[in-house]
Amino acid sequence: MEEINCAHSWTIVRVQTGFIITENCSQCNKTSTYFCSEDYPPLEEHREGDHYWNVMETAQSIQFDLECDRCHTIVTFKELAGLMLCTGCDEICKVEKIREKLEKDHVWIYVACGFLPIDEVELLSQEKISILEDYFNKRRKSSKSKIKIISYEMVNNLKNCYGEIIKDVGMLNLKPTELL
Amino acid sequence: MKLQELINKIALKVLTVVEDKDITGVFISDMLSDVMSSAQSGNLWVTVQSHKNIISAANLIDISAIIVTHNKDVPKDTIELANRYKVVILSSPLTTFELASKLLESGIK
Amino acid sequence: MQQGIDIEKIRDVLNANVFEGEVIHGKYVTDVYASDLMSDVLAFGKSGSILLTGLNTIQAAVSAYVAEFKGIIILRSKVPDADILTFAKDKNLFVLSTDADMYEACVKIANIKGELAVPERISEATKEHGLITTHSFFIEGKDFGSAGMVSTQIKTILKSIGYDALLIRRVAISTYEAEMNVVMHALSADVLLSAGDQEIRVVINDKGKGIENIELAMKEGYSTATEEQRALGFGAGMGLPNIKKNSDIFNIESVVNKGTYIETIFYVK
Repeated sequence: MEEINCAHSWTIVRVQTGFIITENCSQCNKTSTYFCSEDYPPLEEHREGDHYWNVMETAQSIQFDLECDRCHTIVTFKELAGLMLCTGCDEICKVEKIREKLEKDHVWIYVACGFLPIDEVELLSQEKISILEDYFNKRRKSSKSKIKIISYEMVNNLKNCYGEIIKDVGMLNLKPTELL
Repeated sequence: MKLQELINKIALKVLTVVEDKDITGVFISDMLSDVMSSAQSGNLWVTVQSHKNIISAANLIDISAIIVTHNKDVPKDTIELANRYKVVILSSPLTTFELASKLLESGIK
Repeated sequence: MQQGIDIEKIRDVLNANVFEGEVIHGKYVTDVYASDLMSDVLAFGKSGSILLTGLNTIQAAVSAYVAEFKGIIILRSKVPDADILTFAKDKNLFVLSTDADMYEACVKIANIKGELAVPERISEATKEHGLITTHSFFIEGKDFGSAGMVSTQIKTILKSIGYDALLIRRVAISTYEAEMNVVMHALSADVLLSAGDQEIRVVINDKGKGIENIELAMKEGYSTATEEQRALGFGAGMGLPNIKKNSDIFNIESVVNKGTYIETIFYVK
């Protein structure tokens, strides 16, 4: 991918809207997530071998590629489920330790979350993470702050993580939440 | 136009500490995924969303300020997170459409 | 008599594609609702409106229908799918699609609007807040040399605006006490001044050891000042109660080892 000697200039392309589906197995309590680009996310309980999957959450999100304006290399990010701002909820978490060190220099830590279960999916490579980081940092013209992207493998306890993930929940809810 | 100038020009309620920034344009959407794919650094982001994760989206793109319309209540934890990451949150009683008209009137492209 | 915006004019100014409702000729909408949150559309949308949204799903069409809108415009070149169009046709809703984004669409429609009452409503609403100015300051803990600078600056600003002398005095005393507490007990603080024609608001948000027992700290005479601080003339223990006494609204929250948040509001009479 990086054979060409190019100082890449990335643009976001092929943005695809869809849903991140979070499922839980009622038998073994495993959690699984995946991206679905259908207009209507499947909501029914379904069996897969020994697993009985139930949909816990559907969140609107996007998948995209990055393309270099100069050499037209395309990098896909199918392994990326979402970017999550680290809010420092767990003292012993490696991500929190990095956050603590860099926050005073106005470097904000984002975790590149992949899908679950973490040991059964393809992970985002460090190279792709660097490209993603480079893209977002160049997109911020301001020099007052930067972001750093870290793999979700570094998160101590994903199930209890209080990081704020960028996704849209509840947009399709048709129940009025409040009255004037 | 600078943020402080805009705040003084059109009555916006300030909910966080304000750091003066240059406004590069206006981005209106209630979908965070839209912000991630299309908003530009320095934009004013107009939305009715006020959940904590707007800070996550705003910070990624380096939004100059979030304007929450319809007088929507912004919870304390969103404001705390905003102050921590130096994200400015302003509030307006106008609807999104009315605010857009007002922003246009005040000279923001 | 036409009261509203001509839909054909909207189509033209946005260079929109018309999917359903070829019969938009002579029709108009009375209001514009820009949102991606359909529950809001249902709660606040006004009958006869047009919905501007980036949400290209059936829920947009359903919400518009239930809220008695005349139709929807889907933004950012998203092509409405067959389900949306079938539903819209059945319910007599027009569907337009444009490559404009939400701001551009709002602005272009606002330009052609004309007769509607929005300009009045906007000036009414801006009267509601009447914000004159905002300023932020920073206080460094243990910096006794600069102690009092922020409240002095705030006093100067309020004077230049022309507030009543007694009101300024109350704000200055209250802010001074809060500032001293930061210098004596905290690591640092952000101060936010928001001055309007209805009220003046000062927020002091500090990082530091926090207050273990707010109730106790609120008792006049209770002090946690050190000997050294007392020698300098501080720490008579009147801080918090004095802040409360001088303000119209006083809110305080504190987390041990994190910091203290104080909000004070002073009404302009």
